Amino acid sequence: MTRQNAPLIERRPRRVSIEQVRDRLGEPDAMIKSKIQDHIDEHSRRFIAHSPFLTMATADASGRADCSPRGDYPGFVKVLGEHLLAIPDRPGNRIADSFRNLAENDGIGLLFFVPGSRETLRVNGRAYATDEPDVLVRMQTEAREPELAIAVEVEEVYFHCGRALIRSRLWDPASQALADELPSLGEVAAAQFGMDIDPRLLEARLEEGYRQLY
Amino acid sequence: MQLTILDRIDRPAEDVVALTLRGAHGPLAPWEPGAHVDLALPNWLTRQYSLCGDPRDRERYRIAVRHERLSRGGSDYIHRYLRPGRTLEVSLPRNTFPLVPAPSYLFLAGGIGITAILPMLRAAADAGASCSLVYAGHTYASMPFAGELRAAYGDRVTVVATGHDGRPDLAALAAGLAPETVVYCCGPTSLLDACEAVFPAERLHVERFRPRPRTFAPDTAFDVVCARSGRTVPVPAGESLLNALTHAGLPVPAGCREGVCGSCEVTVLEGEPEHRDDVGAAPGRMYACVSRSRSARLVLDL
Repeated sequence: MTRQNAPLIERRPRRVSIEQVRDRLGEPDAMIKSKIQDHIDEHSRRFIAHSPFLTMATADASGRADCSPRGDYPGFVKVLGEHLLAIPDRPGNRIADSFRNLAENDGIGLLFFVPGSRETLRVNGRAYATDEPDVLVRMQTEAREPELAIAVEVEEVYFHCGRALIRSRLWDPASQALADELPSLGEVAAAQFGMDIDPRLLEARLEEGYRQLY
Repeated sequence: MQLTILDRIDRPAEDVVALTLRGAHGPLAPWEPGAHVDLALPNWLTRQYSLCGDPRDRERYRIAVRHERLSRGGSDYIHRYLRPGRTLEVSLPRNTFPLVPAPSYLFLAGGIGITAILPMLRAAADAGASCSLVYAGHTYASMPFAGELRAAYGDRVTVVATGHDGRPDLAALAAGLAPETVVYCCGPTSLLDACEAVFPAERLHVERFRPRPRTFAPDTAFDVVCARSGRTVPVPAGESLLNALTHAGLPVPAGCREGVCGSCEVTVLEGEPEHRDDVGAAPGRMYACVSRSRSARLVLDL
């Protein structure tokens, strides 16, 4: 085994209990706890209306978890009421992991991002698939409606502090140079599928696919 | 595009806001009554609105927007999130509803359709033409500018709250129409359809916010040759010309995507377009969002 590929640690990292975690971190102060709201207020609504991107966490009945990205124009997630929002299901990889999970376990965790904003918005609740026409019609883009949407009954809403985004320099334009160090999607796909195909050809096909967004 | 600053937000009626947009770098492009602009919103959506201010005021544009119950993100954004002081990009005015010179006009406006009619009525009255306006809406409270119109034009303006007074009697208006009077109508589909049923087509000018419901022959596939790049793009049945061009990496700027606003106009060099728009394309032009091709091949100036 080359030095580069050797594991950093021979055994599994040791586990600490929640009590030990609490001992180390201390209790959250009352102000932090009180910022958790049970509804979408005007500020959260404005945040969602300007957010073009979110991550969506779901899990199946056994607890197998999954997190997927969703993105479109700012405000693509529609706030339908103080306790209700809807996320359009745009064409993706058709794996439908999230829908399968929600059918078994309706818990959902959303993290909304607004480019340039250090704070993020967390929204947790219960979700299900819907094809309600009045919901889908509001999601029309390029004269097309999504086939389905995810309705979320909101239970918790709160702004998450900006430290993670500040430390990660997520919105710093200079950070985008990091992507230059990554393999292209064509290279990744060619290696993972074991395909004997020119990665550049594969890349061109994938880029073509990316133009078909709706 | 022209850069403007949102100077004021007024509420001229229930669920209606009027935006006053001042040119950020001095005078704005001139316009004629009936013109509309594309407004680029901070949420990346672009929407079309008729200019309803005074064309003689070169410093500002005015538009009015109704909050649609099933907003797709345009009117809802404007009503809830726009704040004075925001800079907003506005296109050059485009006029697909021009006022033709005539000695006499009958204007018909339904709801927010009053925005296009407002500067027309003013221009016609200023030119000394004989003119009258029938302005219909659900309730008086939902109808912007009704009070100021009545104050300015007196009994030349009839305001009809359909919830209270019933629908305007278009058949009676048509029966009493003088031969030299031309009719301009802007409003919801129901009003436009009713006008088209009673007024002579050659004297009726309409502007639609939504396409006229129509059925077309099934889509056929065709090829588009883009003359400038020399590229050929196949347009399959079921896909619009606009989307096919976008997916091929040759995007055309677009607005409503329903064939009513005219922003995706392209020049046709060869071939026979099948026009499906509600704008009325000039010879040699077509609207890529809805229109297709009768010939197997279209050559466009792209």
